[in-house]
Amino acid sequence: MKDIADQEVIDIGDMDVEAFNEYANEQGWSDGMPLFVPTEAKVAKFVETVRGDNRPYPPVPPRQIVPTLQALAANAVMAGCKPEYFPVVTAALRGVLDPEYNLHGTLATTHSCAPMVMVSGPIRHELNINCGTNCFGQGRQSNATIGRALGLMLLNVAGAKPGEMDRSTQGNPAKYTFCFGENEEENPWTPYHVQRGFALTDSVVTVMSGEGPHNLNDHGSTTGDGLLTTFAGGMSNPGSNTIYGKGPMFVIIGPEHAATLKRDGFTIDSIREELWKRSRVHLSRVSKENLVTYETTGHKPDGDWLTIGRDPKDIHITVAGGPGKHSAFIPSFGGTTVACTRIAR
Amino acid sequence: MRIFNPSFGMAAAGPAKVTLQPVNWATDAIALISNSKPNARELLEGVRAMLGAHRPVDNIHFHAKNSASQPAPKELIEKVAKNYKAALLALGD
Repeated sequence: MKDIADQEVIDIGDMDVEAFNEYANEQGWSDGMPLFVPTEAKVAKFVETVRGDNRPYPPVPPRQIVPTLQALAANAVMAGCKPEYFPVVTAALRGVLDPEYNLHGTLATTHSCAPMVMVSGPIRHELNINCGTNCFGQGRQSNATIGRALGLMLLNVAGAKPGEMDRSTQGNPAKYTFCFGENEEENPWTPYHVQRGFALTDSVVTVMSGEGPHNLNDHGSTTGDGLLTTFAGGMSNPGSNTIYGKGPMFVIIGPEHAATLKRDGFTIDSIREELWKRSRVHLSRVSKENLVTYETTGHKPDGDWLTIGRDPKDIHITVAGGPGKHSAFIPSFGGTTVACTRIAR
Repeated sequence: MRIFNPSFGMAAAGPAKVTLQPVNWATDAIALISNSKPNARELLEGVRAMLGAHRPVDNIHFHAKNSASQPAPKELIEKVAKNYKAALLALGD
């Protein structure tokens, strides 16, 4: 009998859903939650949605195999996606395959990072992707299954099996799924994908290897300046990877906070500049042993301070969420990039 | 019932095969490479000291990646390949 890993199509006989899930667990295909069955008929429907995107996929690290569209679609089916979600998932996969994303490092690390998937443009509404209230949370099939499908691809195609290639010390709930939409309609500045050079009418997926969202609660401040003091305090973290791994991070501003900042004249650039200055970590908050390590690996302090990234451009800003006085900080793995991919349609 | 295998893929073309040359551990140049995480350098210093009990160490040199979280840059790999007959890698974590 041929090894299952070498077979593109497998005859599993007369299995019901429960039996298939037992089988999938035995193969190591599962994230632990129930899976849908990737039948030939279902996979064919998904593959049809990306026929316009003929670009070949590069080998996927760490396993270094070139995936077939059918194998990718099988993961999206198992995650519970609808066929029309598949172009979003494949765009997200292309993003994490950007060499600067450092997929091997982000999957093999002991850090807790998981791929953050943010969707911009008209497709958000076409697919009912949550951009508003509870956008990082449960409740929408699109958010839940698009992020999950990418996670399953990284497990099954990239080979990031927990405890084997995935060496994360504690992991992160975002490894199950982490997908949300930008709230472009309540963004008083420029939507993120437009900041990155795409047209407003483009639908774009942005990925970053990040931690889960860290809440930035500020019910009291009534000025933009006050809000930035709170945001910077939440970002100033000596335990963050980027304090020595230097890399990008997101600040996802809630619409009410965004309105206050806009009213007080802040722009995306001025918010970045202020957060950059105010989020530095004083050396009194860094252990002597860590400081020696940072200095010997080229991350010298700036006077009495360590910065949390390379420069203000490492702080990426957008708006998401619904009513309420909360925003979120999403630090990254560090040695990674924020990759944007236009969704082929 | 037939399903598509979610882990199926085509094997990528591997790198060109390199013929390894024999190493004379008593005299040849050796690169000691740290992954830039805590204690990797200390481990390599211990290795160098132990080698020093048996051989000259003036051609045993320390190197490190630029970042613990990123792959070794091509320039470093080429430098090590060009100048050393052996390399020992320490993974601190």
